[in-house]
Amino acid sequence: MKRIFATACFAVMLFILPMTAFADGHVYRLRVDGLACPFCAYGVEKKLSSVKGVEKLTLDIDAGHVTVTMAPGAALDEAVARKAISEAGFTLRGFEQTEKP
Amino acid sequence: MIATARRCVGWLGIAILFAAGVAGLASPTAAHNPIFAPGPHVAYQGGVEVSLGYTKARASGAGGTETEQQLEISAEYGLTADWTVEFEAPFVDKAQDGKSRTGLGDMALRSRFRFWRLDAPGAQTSAALLAQIKLPTGDDDGDPRLGSGSTDVLGGLLFGHEGRRWYFNAAARYRYNTEGEGGLGKGDRQFLDLVVGVRPVLSGYLEPDTVLFLELNWENAGRDRRNGADVQNTGGWELFLSPGVFWTWRNVAIRAGAQVPVAGNLEGTNPESDYRLKLELKYQF
Repeated sequence: MKRIFATACFAVMLFILPMTAFADGHVYRLRVDGLACPFCAYGVEKKLSSVKGVEKLTLDIDAGHVTVTMAPGAALDEAVARKAISEAGFTLRGFEQTEKP
Repeated sequence: MIATARRCVGWLGIAILFAAGVAGLASPTAAHNPIFAPGPHVAYQGGVEVSLGYTKARASGAGGTETEQQLEISAEYGLTADWTVEFEAPFVDKAQDGKSRTGLGDMALRSRFRFWRLDAPGAQTSAALLAQIKLPTGDDDGDPRLGSGSTDVLGGLLFGHEGRRWYFNAAARYRYNTEGEGGLGKGDRQFLDLVVGVRPVLSGYLEPDTVLFLELNWENAGRDRRNGADVQNTGGWELFLSPGVFWTWRNVAIRAGAQVPVAGNLEGTNPESDYRLKLELKYQF
């Protein structure tokens, strides 16, 4: 009985885990040049957060990085990110999809 | 009525100064952009910056003391990532020779175009052109005059470097004053500014941020002219040393500074500046 229960649990986990992973949004790390002051960085927040599917933003001014978490199933296009950063008055130097947050 | 309005201007100024002081004290880190010199930084595309400013200037000489207080409302809009337009409306309170008046001053329209920008990790260096037109909306019939009565234009070249730690700015401006009513034309003015700024604590996004500035502001005025003839006791230059602070928290900024004259050569009994104070509350949408 115990063995059946353990097998059932294992099977459920095997089924659920990939679904959970799929439910997490993609995370991107953008390297932005020109970021020097927090007040100026507000434009980056405004522009990127208006991109469809963006769920969460984290700005690290010292590192010049913006971490973008997308809603489940959504992806961030590099050209869209470049346009948003450009309209905020900065330059996108790097774009990469990272591991899960 | 006028006295009440003057009191309101004064009290509002005190309230803003107090708010700035409290905000500054409450922040363990505090300051960023030049306070008196214009910089090349522009609002982001589609961004709106609204400001409420208070300035006070006092000048004195053989002819007595002149005091001017202003409440300014201004709004800036980013047409593109490098081009902004700005509108400014001042409410003026002037006292001179025992007489005083309060009312709308000369409104101004401004535009800045950032024609060059170099982005590096943690730093931005840029240059912009500045254009301004000042409209004769202030009453220039009474005494003291609230407006110049003339439409004046200003052009300038602005340079700035913003780093995580250090700021450097330089600006050169020329204001061409046209002839107002009564045949009086104020002398043209030239402005040169040099600024250094430092951020004592490297704060992150969503943290209070403070930048301290020290500015050198040079102003030169040509002789006023009335019906083609020079007006006595007008024109000359002054050099100001201006400490300032720029405190921000996300999209809210408080800018404050004082201009202290350190050198000058004014014509005749032209009143010399004693000091100028500026305080501005800015909100970015």
